[in-house]
Amino acid sequence: MAELRAKTSPQGSDPARGSLIGKRIPKMDAPDKASGRTRYIHDINLPGQLHAKILRSSERHAKIVSIDTRAAKALPGVHAVITAADVPWQRPIGVAKDHLPLKTDRVRSLRDEIAAVAADSVEIAEEALGLIRVDYAPLPVLTDPVAALAPDAPRIHPAPQGADGGPSLKPGLPVAYTGKPDNVAMVMEYAQGDVAAGEAGSALVVEDVFRLHYVTHCCLGVSGVIAEFDPSGNLLLYSNTQVPFLHKREFAELLDIDPGRVRIIQPPIGGGFGSKLDIYPFEPIAIFLAKITGRPVKLVFTREEEFLASPTRQPVLLKLRSGCTKDGVLTFREVETLHDNGAYTSWGATTPFVMMQTVSSLYRVPHCRYRTRAVYTNNPYAGSFRGYGNLQATFAVEAHMDRLAEALGIDPLEFRLKNAQDPGEVTPQGMHFKTCGLKDCLRTAAERGDFLRKHAANRARWSDGDPVKRGVGMASMLHVGGGAKIYPSDGCGTILKIDDFAHVTLITGASEIGQGSETVLAQLVCEELGLPLSAVTVVNNDTDITPWDVGVHASRTTFIAGNSAIGAARKAKDKILALASSKCGDAAEALDLAEGCVVKKATGERVFELAKLIRSLHFSDKAELVMTTHYYEPPSVHQDKQFKGDVSAAYAWATQVCEVEVDTRTGIVRLVKVTGAHDVGRVLNRLGIEGQIEGGIVMGQGYALTENLMVEDGWVRNPNFRDYKLVTAPEIPEIDVSFIETMDGEGPQGAKGVGEAPAICIAAAVANAIYNATGVRLTSLPFTPERVYRALHGAAQPLEWNVPQ
Amino acid sequence: MTIERYCAPRTLDEALEILRAGPVSPFAGGTDLMPQSQAGRVRLAPVLMNLRRIEGMGGIAENDGVVRIGALTTMTQLMDSAVVRERLNILWQACDHFASDQLRNAGTLGGNICNASPAGDTLVPLLVLDARVELAQKPNGRIETRKLPLAEFLLGPGRTTRAPQELLSAIEIPLPAEGFYGAFFKLGTRPALDISAISIGLGALHDDGCLRSVRIAFGAVAPTAIRAARAEAELEGRLLDQDVIDAAVQAADTEIHPISDLRASGWYRREMVCNMLRRMLEDARSH
Amino acid sequence: MPARIDIAFRLNGVGKRASVAPETSALEMLREVIGLTGTKYGCGEGECGACTILVDGVTINACLMFAADCDGRDVMTIEGVNATPRGEALRRAFVEHGAVQCGFCTPGIMVQAWHLLESNPHADQATIQRGIEGNLCRCTGYKKIIEAVAAAEAVERGQTPVEQSREVQRG
Repeated sequence: MAELRAKTSPQGSDPARGSLIGKRIPKMDAPDKASGRTRYIHDINLPGQLHAKILRSSERHAKIVSIDTRAAKALPGVHAVITAADVPWQRPIGVAKDHLPLKTDRVRSLRDEIAAVAADSVEIAEEALGLIRVDYAPLPVLTDPVAALAPDAPRIHPAPQGADGGPSLKPGLPVAYTGKPDNVAMVMEYAQGDVAAGEAGSALVVEDVFRLHYVTHCCLGVSGVIAEFDPSGNLLLYSNTQVPFLHKREFAELLDIDPGRVRIIQPPIGGGFGSKLDIYPFEPIAIFLAKITGRPVKLVFTREEEFLASPTRQPVLLKLRSGCTKDGVLTFREVETLHDNGAYTSWGATTPFVMMQTVSSLYRVPHCRYRTRAVYTNNPYAGSFRGYGNLQATFAVEAHMDRLAEALGIDPLEFRLKNAQDPGEVTPQGMHFKTCGLKDCLRTAAERGDFLRKHAANRARWSDGDPVKRGVGMASMLHVGGGAKIYPSDGCGTILKIDDFAHVTLITGASEIGQGSETVLAQLVCEELGLPLSAVTVVNNDTDITPWDVGVHASRTTFIAGNSAIGAARKAKDKILALASSKCGDAAEALDLAEGCVVKKATGERVFELAKLIRSLHFSDKAELVMTTHYYEPPSVHQDKQFKGDVSAAYAWATQVCEVEVDTRTGIVRLVKVTGAHDVGRVLNRLGIEGQIEGGIVMGQGYALTENLMVEDGWVRNPNFRDYKLVTAPEIPEIDVSFIETMDGEGPQGAKGVGEAPAICIAAAVANAIYNATGVRLTSLPFTPERVYRALHGAAQPLEWNVPQ
Repeated sequence: MTIERYCAPRTLDEALEILRAGPVSPFAGGTDLMPQSQAGRVRLAPVLMNLRRIEGMGGIAENDGVVRIGALTTMTQLMDSAVVRERLNILWQACDHFASDQLRNAGTLGGNICNASPAGDTLVPLLVLDARVELAQKPNGRIETRKLPLAEFLLGPGRTTRAPQELLSAIEIPLPAEGFYGAFFKLGTRPALDISAISIGLGALHDDGCLRSVRIAFGAVAPTAIRAARAEAELEGRLLDQDVIDAAVQAADTEIHPISDLRASGWYRREMVCNMLRRMLEDARSH
Repeated sequence: MPARIDIAFRLNGVGKRASVAPETSALEMLREVIGLTGTKYGCGEGECGACTILVDGVTINACLMFAADCDGRDVMTIEGVNATPRGEALRRAFVEHGAVQCGFCTPGIMVQAWHLLESNPHADQATIQRGIEGNLCRCTGYKKIIEAVAAAEAVERGQTPVEQSREVQRG
């Protein structure tokens, strides 16, 4: 593992100005975290608190015949045992509102919540769970998403039966009440141009089928929540949510109370990665128990529960056809996918939103058609996970690009460059690439990774008899980098106050989830106000205090919250300089803020000490405070029903070159080196962005090589770190990252969002590298030793697209 | 899981008395018992006995060509021992692949043996080293011990010939002759922190292009870690050429009964035993 | 009546008494009985290292240790490691080198790194990687953690002083 060599762009920071931009700024929360002082939700205990545990289904698909909770209720130390019957007022949750927190008549997957206990201790709650008797009447189990489409497949969400035994369809109500006539949870279709015409004009057409597997977030801090009601019925939640304001409203709806009566406090969280974008049943259940017992209720998962009952990345079967001219210009692309939705619908079902962007717009494709069906099965249900479908889409598109290049006899780099987007392009899907560093990314990663030479040399070694082969592969990606307007607003609010000692309190709607947002926001404010980082406190964890924000997702926080913070800081600066101007007579435009003072812009001469100036305002007859607010709404648009529109204010690009070693005797693939080039707009905090990219690369490595949540016939076979293999320290590759600074015009100081980008390319680049090493193309993830060995020795089953129309 | 009594005896004598008196869950490192009991996979007996405080049940000593390793010796202590590193290097190699530093610091050799996992990391090298286990009990007021080869001690996954009133007190390993060659292979993508899909131990003396005193053992391809007598016989005293290697690999193929589980299919395990044994023999030839 | 065991041990250099149930783990005792929450629950099976503590000078997973087994022993947690010069050097290096993201694995890795440098003051990069192989991190990709441990090691050898953070840290 060599030193990370990051290129310093000529457009980088100006050291003469003492700018913080582009520097290596340690995270503000790091000292507390490194000393074990940080209090995560697991570390918080409220006076009078009870501990809750959930009884989950032992069946994959069954009717609940009866639940007997009498023995559990009689256990000393048990305060409440609840089932759906105890909360008849509960409401459906999830993206499609297709399930109730506590299941009523049937269970549809192993994780399904049947009953819950609140007790004096975790041990008593667990003992009580063991005393609850549930009688099930098993139903046919459906775990194959292809079979789910068969006309005679068992229905996962049949219409609930009414009292008369007939169907109780209630039109206009959520799926949880009405049922679904078939197993299709969601269909998303997109089209541009005329695919038939594109195909007719193709010299070459290639079709591939890919299969993507289950992985899960594995946040080191397990899920948890603490719920408490005050005597007036106001709800206080200590929550790990990544979207506090959306959830505040959803919890209020669940409880049928005014959202103003829900307050969410977010303790620091032990990892997010998209896992906390939806409400999951455990949260309402804790709230029910708190309401029923009148006590604070804490509910924390075990690791096994975390594997069984937290969301996964969506498994996908994907068929991809593309064509190109004999000169290697893409003519059309057609993608169809089958998403295994699991028993219920969470954000995983909506990942086509991102997948189709990669399909339509990573390269210039004139004609394109995309279709996804997400089907219900009795498997675990999938949520959102860093990259949001883009790991799946990019794996397919970029492996397929190598196949096309090979069929054409063009090298993979040239083929990509030929079709890559340029700045200024508006794609048929409506995305406007105001800045676009894709070609720079391609060239830089290829050059620094010595791609062309190695690519040719490795192929020449296919039959040299050495059992250990080397391979190199590349993949590129496109991802939103300026927010994503999936709601009518993609905005973020900031409140900024500067106190009498020129100390800034930055109150932002944007949550810190470990990625370093509070540090980068503080940095952006310091840049405007000429203050050191030590002059800023960030408040970002309490919905009663912080202004509205959509949430931490879509790599949006630096961009959206950053612009919001800059806006608030500029308003404060304007106010300060206007005051200074009135006192010293110089025009406000001729003044600036630097090093805690008002200075003359031209000479840097100090005019006022900032703290003194502010005090003079505060304690004058004007008696004014320097306190500003700003709401930033990016200039993106909510896509139309055809999924067209410029959904993000900026787009991030990257190319990663992966080098692997394949032991053909064992099938073990070692990721040796990753050379990445990332269009990040501009580097704000070099330490932070390196951390995001390195962490993302290793997460992508896990997706490609080691991680596999084994779901077999609806059973989760490996709900533990022993057999769900995260990458460990000795396995990491050498990492070389270059930053392509395209200075996005809308970005804060030119930056784009980058949180998800680094994980996206790895699996595709590794697949291409394995092919380059061995001549064998793998189309199913992950590339575990046995799968690779089978493929190398002709013992793999080819993937087929046998999905009914 | 109501534990009526916890005890941490100081002497073997005391521990054996407690064992004789009734159902006891003994533990040393606790690294297997704790998670298994917390997950409800193992029911703890009313008496929980911590063996770690027993004096004289640790330590590594060499006497008359036999290395005696106290059952409470941790993996880290094994790795720190000069005699293990220099004379029983195959055991050292296996310890190096064992879990993580934290688990090597807690896990004991006796515990790894009594846990009797088919994939137990130390079992393969111990079989190669012809290790014997010493079991102690106190039936009539006097400590009695018996010694038996490890191969006879292991019965199946989690099952051994240890009687409930017995404790595994020590492991004895006859010092291999000078120049003994030992190699351990564990299939996995990580250096450690991995349950092996298969493991292989090979021990032998080089003698003019031939291997003598050949010992081969496999992990995770049968209900217990096993010795491969037929493969050993194919190699014993023969010139180690390609034909002999082929014959040994073919013999090994007949001696293993790998199952399919979530870590690997039986087919793949079999392929790996053959491929890797071949590689190890080729390495041994060029050694 | 389930058994309770009264134990006495040293915790971060100070004598400590506790009464625990036999099945209680050292992790539960530290967090729930004693209230030292720097040691984290990550898996309860010794697979993630978030609960790494020192017992008699070597690291173990507190989730796998019976609390009763602490009796008479010398236990040090992240809270104790913090107070040592090596702990301080490590903390500074972790902060300066960006080795902390969500931070949940960090205390366990700090303790493991402390032990690694204690037992191997000249640890090279490969040794550091192997040394923390029992600690899972989901955020950082380990690279900056490895660099931080190497930097702390270099400071101990007096080679390159860790730069004082130019920015005063909050808190």
